[in-house]
Amino acid sequence: MADVTATSVDGSKGPPIGAMRLPRQLSQSKAAYILLAPLLVFFGVSVIYPVIETIRLSFFEIKGLAPAKAVGLGNYFKLLSDENFLRALRVTFVWSFSATLFSVMIGWALAMACALKPRETMVFRVLIFAAYGVSEAVVGFIWLGIYRPDYGLVNGILGGLGLENMQQAWLGNPDTALTAVIVAYVWTQVGLPLMTCFASIQSIPRTYFEAAYIDGAKPMSMMRHIVMPLSLPGVRVAIFINLLQSLKAFDLIYMLTGGGPVRSTETVGFFMFRESMLNFKLGYGAASTVVLLVAVLIVSTPLIAQRTRAVK
Amino acid sequence: MIGKTPVWVLPIVALVALIWIVPLLGLVIISIRPMAETTLGWWSTQEISFTLDAWTTVWDKFPLAYAAWVSTKIAVISTLIPMVMAPAAAYAFHYLSFPMRRVLLLIIVNAFVLPNQVVVIPLFLLWRDLGMIDNMWSVIIPFAGLSFAWSVFLVKNYLEDFPKDLIEAAQIDACGPIARFFHIVLPNMLTPIAAVAILQFMWTWNGLLLPVVFLRDELPLPALLARVQGVYDNNFDQVAVAAIITTIVPLAIFVIFQRYFTAGAQTKTGSKE
Amino acid sequence: MTSKQTSGIGRRTILGALAAGTMLTPFGFGAAHAAEIEGELVMINWLAGAQGEMMEALQADFVEKNPEITFRNIVPTSSGDTRGGIRTVLLGGEQADLLINTWPAFRQELLDAGMILPVDEAWEENNWSDLLADSWKDLSTIDGKNYGVTYTFGDRSGIWYNTGTMEKSGITPPETWDDFIAGFAKMNEVGITPVSIPAKIWAHAEWFESTLLRVAGADFMSKLARHEVPWTSPEVVTTFEKLAEMLKADCCLDPNTMLASIWRDSADTTIKTGETGYMLIGMWLNTRAKQEYQLEPGKDFDIFQFPAMGMGYDNQSMVDAKEFNVLSSVKNIDAANAFMGYMLTADAAAIMADYGLASPSSAVDPSIYDPVIQRAVNEVVSAEKVHFVLGDLLPGDLVHEYRIQIQKFLQDPSDETIAAAVQKIEDVANSAY
Repeated sequence: MADVTATSVDGSKGPPIGAMRLPRQLSQSKAAYILLAPLLVFFGVSVIYPVIETIRLSFFEIKGLAPAKAVGLGNYFKLLSDENFLRALRVTFVWSFSATLFSVMIGWALAMACALKPRETMVFRVLIFAAYGVSEAVVGFIWLGIYRPDYGLVNGILGGLGLENMQQAWLGNPDTALTAVIVAYVWTQVGLPLMTCFASIQSIPRTYFEAAYIDGAKPMSMMRHIVMPLSLPGVRVAIFINLLQSLKAFDLIYMLTGGGPVRSTETVGFFMFRESMLNFKLGYGAASTVVLLVAVLIVSTPLIAQRTRAVK
Repeated sequence: MIGKTPVWVLPIVALVALIWIVPLLGLVIISIRPMAETTLGWWSTQEISFTLDAWTTVWDKFPLAYAAWVSTKIAVISTLIPMVMAPAAAYAFHYLSFPMRRVLLLIIVNAFVLPNQVVVIPLFLLWRDLGMIDNMWSVIIPFAGLSFAWSVFLVKNYLEDFPKDLIEAAQIDACGPIARFFHIVLPNMLTPIAAVAILQFMWTWNGLLLPVVFLRDELPLPALLARVQGVYDNNFDQVAVAAIITTIVPLAIFVIFQRYFTAGAQTKTGSKE
Repeated sequence: MTSKQTSGIGRRTILGALAAGTMLTPFGFGAAHAAEIEGELVMINWLAGAQGEMMEALQADFVEKNPEITFRNIVPTSSGDTRGGIRTVLLGGEQADLLINTWPAFRQELLDAGMILPVDEAWEENNWSDLLADSWKDLSTIDGKNYGVTYTFGDRSGIWYNTGTMEKSGITPPETWDDFIAGFAKMNEVGITPVSIPAKIWAHAEWFESTLLRVAGADFMSKLARHEVPWTSPEVVTTFEKLAEMLKADCCLDPNTMLASIWRDSADTTIKTGETGYMLIGMWLNTRAKQEYQLEPGKDFDIFQFPAMGMGYDNQSMVDAKEFNVLSSVKNIDAANAFMGYMLTADAAAIMADYGLASPSSAVDPSIYDPVIQRAVNEVVSAEKVHFVLGDLLPGDLVHEYRIQIQKFLQDPSDETIAAAVQKIEDVANSAY
């Protein structure tokens, strides 16, 4: 335990505690704003301004290069009655939930395993992270080859194992397409939870393990009682990043299925990108982005409020 | 970890990694076999020959060195910014009390749901009016700004496990909040800072949408290499080369920075144990 | 975004007068003007890969003939649909002289936004009518004014096959629809799936379009594109019924496989391995077959025109084309016109032929093309009417729905599905225009 009466950094003694209460309040706010100011500038220009623009755009109907037409809440009504958007919401629910669940679980498990032998597993960790780093379009192409009905790797292996009856047009069958795309996506995403959980685990002070070892704990029990709880920050970050990125994902889905077959893999992210960038209906695309933003805000507000409770 | 690790750990990890590597291996093989052989799959064994044609073509046709330099400039600056500012912000949100604290945090964190295309057109018009098209800052500013959405959350999460007693100790002294940040908290944040660096570098190095819209002649590597693939022809062997070249650098950063993950463990135990 | 503008208004008028005054022979338009055309020519050039190289070569050749010209290419890149990138460039107010355009719907959009200029004046002055048949002019004409100079085209009603496959099945390229379908039985007997339809994204619509052309003709298709006739019209329903006939004659693989395939997969099985018999796709398959399969056009694979149905429209063809539009922000109109004219010369055609692209100019000797391209060129040139690919004429969300409904049809080619499909397309069309 650190010495409670240590002198401050420059050697001087501080004023008595009671006298510090009021000045400390002010200096906390000031300090906070000083620490936050540059960030707020960057953030303001690159995020707040475009968001305000997006909200503004959502009240217009814009078809390609034609001049904008003010439509008030028209886009929103159209959106909420657009069966394609509603279907996209349902698809996204399955997509985001499964993709995040599996990639985080696998990543976390791998991180714990790798933490047992950090040096030896370095190459593996790099390669799994490489899957996260390669561009989605390229990944899409690779997996197209894997899923090809006639000459793909999956069907080839199934055939080799004598399981011809299981061979499928994975990306063309509306029942299997979404799962197939999720598998490819999880393949790319595991690298992130692996890294963040591994980072969490690596930063656990060695003394915790030493103490447990002295108490006679075995590695697996250390895993359960020390590593798992203390790697939660990494898990939380992984869930956050993977979940929200899955909402935005476009390139991989476009390469593998183009949103099909018959729209069974059209997620909200796909819908947004298609409307804004491909159909260039900027107003409609903007409205869908706003709806998504509001939905996420509703879900995240209680969570954030809970985690930012009292500051000492 | 201490103690004898079970024998099954390494083999299982190896097995999983092998499954993971297969598609990546495919990428490498496609880049070194002639296209005629790999049309039906890079594993086809009808006729096997190897060639470095794709590699030499990409090397000759594209000014890779300059594009790599542009990429480096953009990625490095875009990474340094959140490496410094995200910990500062996380510290402020976690330890300091100030008005609008929760609202600001909510806004910043929720911004992560915004896809890049939302940012593209408004900023494009803004940069055009400011004459900043083809200026690397037109890309760096949004890269940095957008990064705060996730980097602040990331650092804050790691902070939540930070032993509070150290802070309390420093509070008794006349250490102002900012001094406390620099001398006590920051040195212990190396792990999340390294994580931020790895991710931000990778995303800004690989970034395609923003550079392609905001930049004209000063193209970073991925934007340049996007030209490899035609609309109707494939050149997938060259595309594979491009993908490999582009991905190597962020992987190197990963290898270098992940060494810092354990740095946090040393200092966290407190000063005099 | 600086553009060098060396000639003021006065100079341009003089140059214009010179151009009008010197009536040149249809060939070698560029030569006599070499001294006068100068400055920077800015082009929105989104071509990449092999076609990008081709445009580089063309620009270099033009510069050789006109040394005072420099090119500046604006290269928009984007995911999925190039038009998004182009729109961003234009919205950003970037100045450019020429735009490469392959979407008539986009041309209409640009016109509505006031971003392109008619080329009729230059057309008259340079006698491009001697080089480009009126049918090409018609393709790029809107409301009586012409906005584009077509520099390349492709046959989209050509059915490709591997010559070995035909031999194996004992068939010769069918000329009528009934022969075409009759041939399926023979192919199935020797284990070849007659038709490969890649239905993942867009290529399946080709079958619909060429069939509709045979059933109802180019004029009907134009009306449909403008939504002057509904999608529930009997002609559209008949088209689907004809396709159902094809499907019920065991032409294709199971729907799931079709929905999982893109044109490259079909190309692999049709041209490379010969497992499937026919596919209907654009001329770029020629490039793939030559470069990636290393096969010889005419010898290993060939093309025949979509079979006749005897409904009166058998001498028509679907086409795609690329044209140049002159943007309203043009600064170097003389260089722009000069380049468009250059593209119609035999020299330009020779460069394009190296990359497998056909020129619509009559200055070209068809023997520079390989046998497959020659055949396609002849079919299009001798067609009584040509029509642009429907998919590139329709507005964005309508195209998407249209393709998906055809997917649904392929899954289940029953009368109920047809009725539901055309109704759905019609509903979306009503809100899209």
